Amino acid sequence: MKTSTIAGVWAYMVVAVLTETATFYYVTNVTAQTVVISLLALSQATAVAIFYMQLKDEPGSIRIFALVGVMFLSALLIAMVASLG
Amino acid sequence: MFTALYFGVVGAVLALLMRVQLSVPNNDFLEAAYYNQAVTMHGLIMIFWFLSPLGVALFNYLVPLQIGAKDLAFPRLNALTYWLFLAGGLMAVLSFFVPGGAAAAGWTSYEPLAGPVYSPGPGPTMTYLGLMLMAASVTVGSVNFIATILWLRRPGMRLSDMPMFSWFALFTVVAMLFAFPSIIAAFLLVLTDRLIGTVLYAPPSILNVPGIDPSLLWDDLFWFFGHPEVYIVLLPAFGVIADITPAFTGRPLDGRNWILISVAAIVLPISFGVWMHHMFLTGIPNVLLEVFDVSTEIVSIPFGIIVIMFILSMVHGRIQFKTPLLFIVGALVLFIIGGIMGVFLSSPVLDRVYNGSYFVVSHFHYVMVGATIFGLFAGIYYWLPKMTGRMYNESLGKVHFIISFIGFNVLYAPMMLLSDMPRRIFTYQNIGDWAQLNGIATVGAFIFAGAQIIVAYNLLHTWFRGPPSGPNPWGSQSPEWSTPATGSVPVAPVETEPAGGWIGQLPGPQSASVSGPSPVSHAMSAVSHEVHLSSRPLTLSAGVMLFLTGAALYPGGAIQLSVLTIPPGVFPLALMVLGVGVFAASIVGWAWDDIRNKFVGPAGDPGGDRWPYDEVPKMKLGMWVFLSSEIVLFGTLLGAYIFIREAALEWPSPASVHDIPLATANTLILLTSGFTMAMAVYAIRKGDQRGLLGWLVATFVLGSTFIGVKISEWLGLFSGAAPFLPSSSNPVTALAASIYYVVVGLHGAHVVAGLVVLVYLMKKTARGGFTKDDHMSIENFALYWAFVEIVWCFVFPLFYLL
Ligand code: HEM
Ligand SMILES: [Cu+2]
Repeated sequence: MKTSTIAGVWAYMVVAVLTETATFYYVTNVTAQTVVISLLALSQATAVAIFYMQLKDEPGSIRIFALVGVMFLSALLIAMVASLG
Repeated sequence: MFTALYFGVVGAVLALLMRVQLSVPNNDFLEAAYYNQAVTMHGLIMIFWFLSPLGVALFNYLVPLQIGAKDLAFPRLNALTYWLFLAGGLMAVLSFFVPGGAAAAGWTSYEPLAGPVYSPGPGPTMTYLGLMLMAASVTVGSVNFIATILWLRRPGMRLSDMPMFSWFALFTVVAMLFAFPSIIAAFLLVLTDRLIGTVLYAPPSILNVPGIDPSLLWDDLFWFFGHPEVYIVLLPAFGVIADITPAFTGRPLDGRNWILISVAAIVLPISFGVWMHHMFLTGIPNVLLEVFDVSTEIVSIPFGIIVIMFILSMVHGRIQFKTPLLFIVGALVLFIIGGIMGVFLSSPVLDRVYNGSYFVVSHFHYVMVGATIFGLFAGIYYWLPKMTGRMYNESLGKVHFIISFIGFNVLYAPMMLLSDMPRRIFTYQNIGDWAQLNGIATVGAFIFAGAQIIVAYNLLHTWFRGPPSGPNPWGSQSPEWSTPATGSVPVAPVETEPAGGWIGQLPGPQSASVSGPSPVSHAMSAVSHEVHLSSRPLTLSAGVMLFLTGAALYPGGAIQLSVLTIPPGVFPLALMVLGVGVFAASIVGWAWDDIRNKFVGPAGDPGGDRWPYDEVPKMKLGMWVFLSSEIVLFGTLLGAYIFIREAALEWPSPASVHDIPLATANTLILLTSGFTMAMAVYAIRKGDQRGLLGWLVATFVLGSTFIGVKISEWLGLFSGAAPFLPSSSNPVTALAASIYYVVVGLHGAHVVAGLVVLVYLMKKTARGGFTKDDHMSIENFALYWAFVEIVWCFVFPLFYLL
């Protein structure tokens, strides 16, 4: 990985966090706020996973551990929230 | 040499067998309170400290033999698994003896019944802490087994060539890896409730937050673990059946691939997708009732396939009715009966009648005790000659089977008919035929227990006096039989040259093409370097155990020692301090061993069949396996938070509690430490040791700053005008504070653990311990650190912004 990539990811993280906080202060619509902030958080997590954890260079046999973990987790979250009725 | 190594493992198996004897339930002559403790602890101990570990002990012994590995991938972690497991078991058993007794809320520990309001006292706390240690042990163990199976197969052993038992072991540990985080999360919340006064599961009578139902949260977290756990218990037994049936039918297993596909389907998607069948009566929405009814019935398809294949294998072969085969047949019959009962229960309508009755008790004992124990007995008889070099007594084995089988059915069949009797009551009125049926069941219990005396005698007798069995008494083709037996009888070494022994016996096209030194002789020469008698895992576990016991007992009553009175709190405090000391010493010692390279493996890479992990280093594989379980752990906790937020009708607005600009700044600090850590990896990949040290120090400084800011932030929260605390008189604040401190605190603990490792890495770097080609620890730590960063990417918006 090049230093420029490492620095680029970091710059993105900083911008994303500042945008999150700005959204918190300036977007008053609750739904819009939630959607924007959640998407930013997901994009940050993805960026770290792909670049800093180097999933982009790993074979599928390693990626699958991350994927399966996330898969189980999503199943649990969806059903948990659904069970609230 | 071999013998010495294996004795360690066999010793573990034996210790587990002793646990078997110790954990017999006491079911009679008890007052209500003791009865509840007995039921609860029986369930917990049988499942977590007997059934599952017995299977895992067999894995420990057989998987390396079957795949041709010298040992597990991480031997010291394996020791840690064992000691943590033992420490947890000791705590659970000791909890009987503290004032108030052990946990008594059922093995399912339903909340809020198991919380501090309805189950006060140090005993349950100790039991649940013991469970946590056990769960930690399981997580470490699964990482180890997965890495072993994927990475340490001998050359020529493709995944698809692995013996069935090893395959089932792989599936079992994968299920463990993903199921246990959710119970760790569930019990973490229980324990913070019990120890530091959070109110996460507080009953509405104590803490009335509109919309919150703590019992539902528990049900979700517990059963998401609980259902996979029942398969985790069962699969080792099925693995035994699949592996050894061919030895008694004289022909290979029918439908090997069908069986494997079915297990894969059971373990991965299905077992994690049926848990709500334990919650049909909790008022979950109707759609979910239907979804989980169907998904539960789908489970019977793969199980049906597996059972049919087992039966076909027997029908097609020429069966020899030796003891192991009898137990296999018994296990299958009992599994079928129990499984059919399960299908009845999977219907929400019928379950309305059966739920909470002895019908359910009968169901799960048929599948757990019947199928699992019988299957494992088959394995123990079968591999005993391997472990001891001696043959057991065949007629005693048969008698054991017959009496067990009869006793078992006399015990549990009446319970099937007791579908109108509620479970977990300690006594009952004489209604209908309850008395007769219960009487019969008790007689059955004694017959069943009596039968186990026979096997105890038979095992011991075999161990010391049994006739030599020869290296391969069953004429099996499976690789574990091609090494010398491990017992005390001297046996002639088996032919190990590629032409004759191990490799030559294996079917398959690639076996002929393997050349070079035989793996056995290779292993022999390597073993001498690999005696792992580190005491660190033992002291580490002991330290944790002392600390937690102290924490559970705190403050406790005064202790009277003749003239001396020790005031309340002092003894537990002393335990805690001692525990921390021992723990810290073990960690430092462990790191020190590594810095001095005290434990070096055999020089060079032994090679082996690793598809699809040929290019992946062992440590990295282990790290990723561990992280995938961490994903589920943190995800579950964040899930619990989202669940509470969705349910609660009111919630304090973040800005009214937190200093958002400060939190944003602190987030930037943590994210920047992610950047410096990535740079550290970059530096050492180029071989730049000074650069590495600089970036590590930067990471350390940033990480410490993050923690420092966090601490000052928390102090502010504790002492503000309206303190943000679980003890707050406003129920909504109390709940919000509880979940906040648990999740943010756990993240903080991960950061602190990371800082400790950083100290070690900096020290090793300063001594020139890492080079361009040898810096695996740096790469792995970077993965961990990035993971901690990712978690914060969610914690920050969820707790501070939304
Ligand atoms: C053949 C497929 C199976 C089906 C369809 C099935 C279905 C069910 C259902 C619906 C329940 C809930 C009953 C209630 O609480 O009212 C249940 C309970 C239970 N099952 Fe199964 N089951 C199956 C196999 C197994 C296996 C293989 C095991 C273990 C080895 C097992 C262990 C248990 C346990 C321990 C409980 C009781 C939990 C408690 O304490 O409440 N089941 N089963
Ligand atoms: Cu279930």
